[in-house]
Amino acid sequence: MSQTVLDVRDLEAGYEPGVPIVRGASITVDKGEIVVVLGPNGAGKSSLIKAVAGLVPISRGKVLLDGNDITAAPAHTMVRLGLAFVPQTENVFPLMSVEDNLKVACGILERREAPARIAEMYAMFPDLARQKRSAAGNLSGGQRQMLAVARALIIHPKVLVLDEPSAGLSPKFVSMVFEMLSAIRKSGVTILLVEQNAKAALAIGDRAYVLVEGKERHEGVASTLWDDPVVAELYLGQRPLKPEAGGAA
Amino acid sequence: MSLQFVVDGLLAGSMIGLGAIGVTLTYSILRFSNFAHGDFMAWGAYATLVCVGAIGALFGKVAPIAPLSFGWPLIVGLIAGMAFTALLVLLLDKVLFSRLRRQEQAIIVVMGSFGASMALRSLLEFIFTSRPTYFSRAIQIAMPVGLGIRITPDQIALLVLTVVLVVGVHLLTTRTQTGRSMQAMSQNPALARVVGIDVAGVVRVTWIIGAALACVAGVMIGILIQIRPFMGFDMLLPMFAAAILGGIGSIPGAVLGGLIIGLAEAGAVQLIGAEWRAAVSFIILMAVLFVRPIGLFGVRER
Ligand SMILES: Nc1ncnc2c1ncn2[C@@H]1O[C@H](COP(=O)(O)OP(=O)(O)OP(=O)(O)O)[C@@H](O)[C@H]1O
Ligand SMILES: [Mg+2]
Repeated sequence: MSQTVLDVRDLEAGYEPGVPIVRGASITVDKGEIVVVLGPNGAGKSSLIKAVAGLVPISRGKVLLDGNDITAAPAHTMVRLGLAFVPQTENVFPLMSVEDNLKVACGILERREAPARIAEMYAMFPDLARQKRSAAGNLSGGQRQMLAVARALIIHPKVLVLDEPSAGLSPKFVSMVFEMLSAIRKSGVTILLVEQNAKAALAIGDRAYVLVEGKERHEGVASTLWDDPVVAELYLGQRPLKPEAGGAA
Repeated sequence: MSLQFVVDGLLAGSMIGLGAIGVTLTYSILRFSNFAHGDFMAWGAYATLVCVGAIGALFGKVAPIAPLSFGWPLIVGLIAGMAFTALLVLLLDKVLFSRLRRQEQAIIVVMGSFGASMALRSLLEFIFTSRPTYFSRAIQIAMPVGLGIRITPDQIALLVLTVVLVVGVHLLTTRTQTGRSMQAMSQNPALARVVGIDVAGVVRVTWIIGAALACVAGVMIGILIQIRPFMGFDMLLPMFAAAILGGIGSIPGAVLGGLIIGLAEAGAVQLIGAEWRAAVSFIILMAVLFVRPIGLFGVRER
């Protein structure tokens, strides 16, 4: 029997009063799943998960985490409640060392536990261990993404929410990021993932939603969503999704 | 040229530097230039003066500690003054700055701080008049320490106090979770919340550190020069020059900037005359803004 970890119900949220960007979106994430949210540019994917993380004001609907209502919880309490968020950009503190980026996220851990947890992150991401004294701003794009993910994982989240972790990375790093997410899920972490890189995201995901104009318009099993003509239509207007591989105009 | 200006410059630099730490922290974490910071110094000095007076009324005359011009009442008064200044500043944040910050426009908060500065200063003049007063009228004998330099025991004690405070604040901001939270806030407030940092708590700590150090600087001015309502306002230009010279956000930078400006002022007084003292900060400030606007330890915004 699957257990719902994150339950977003009929969520309406936006940056200014009266201008909703997320318009009644509902999604669920079950324990141990990777759920992918796809959608065209400007669909409100980032806004949706930022609202879930407490960063965008919510005007209607509910967010439940393990059955507890966290709709009104301030952003800084989310890690304590068990929700860790990795923003799309600027997701590390550039002037702080790698080590301090991890330490600063340990606020909710027992004082004794923090060093052990940081060591576990270094074991998981050896690249970070090698660079623990360098400023995070000097890391490569891929390493920065690892640091952001390590920082989020360090608090044993119930659900890890990521906004386009592969954006702006070179192809080598893109596949590395998706392998990393697969591995993290295998270790038992539930993941909600927003991605532009639909093919790669669906390859590691269990279920997926297509978000259009602030509302989820389609839901399906990740592996078959790719071939669904409805999705192609929603996602890219009238153009089919497939011919992307060739790259020909 | 006598080397006496080195002592004078280091002392002036200590006061400027302690003030500049508050200025630089407020700027980097609360994101505005706080023109009321000088008046926090004056309030700190007067609060300490009142405490010392109250202790005198309760315990009678207390003998000074051996070579110093002051006794334990000043030390207790200083600690009480730091606490009072911190509470005053937290109150000011609650009724004024926090509301203005919500508008999310730095200029509004800056103007608010101008208003607060004038109100705080006028209130001091109203309560204590604008006549200067002193912690002690005793004249201290300056001891020669070689190279033609003379220094009083008070001056040595205050220099030591400055070093202790600066090292303490530096360790606090670089080695503790509180300090890392402050750095995080200054680099990316939204991400700071995402990693679980309570912004309100960081704001409080920032004000408390700034206010407590402002109080110490004010008391130093009171001990070495005099106490008057304008004492802090007159420090604004050198403090801002020091914070910008050191690089906004950098605590070692603020202190080094303060020392450079203090030494330059003292040197200028000796070489070309006291009326040029104020011009020194201004010239240094302009030079930094033109040549290296990010200051000595500053980092370019990315
Ligand atoms: N901070 C903001 N203030 C006001 N409006 C915003 C803000 N951020 C985003 N928006 C608006 O919200 C809408 C949805 O943006 P959002 O970033 O959520 O889309 P997205 O699906 O994540 O797009 P992308 O694929 O480009 O990341 C856009 O019209 C955008 O202009
Ligand atoms: Mg986005």
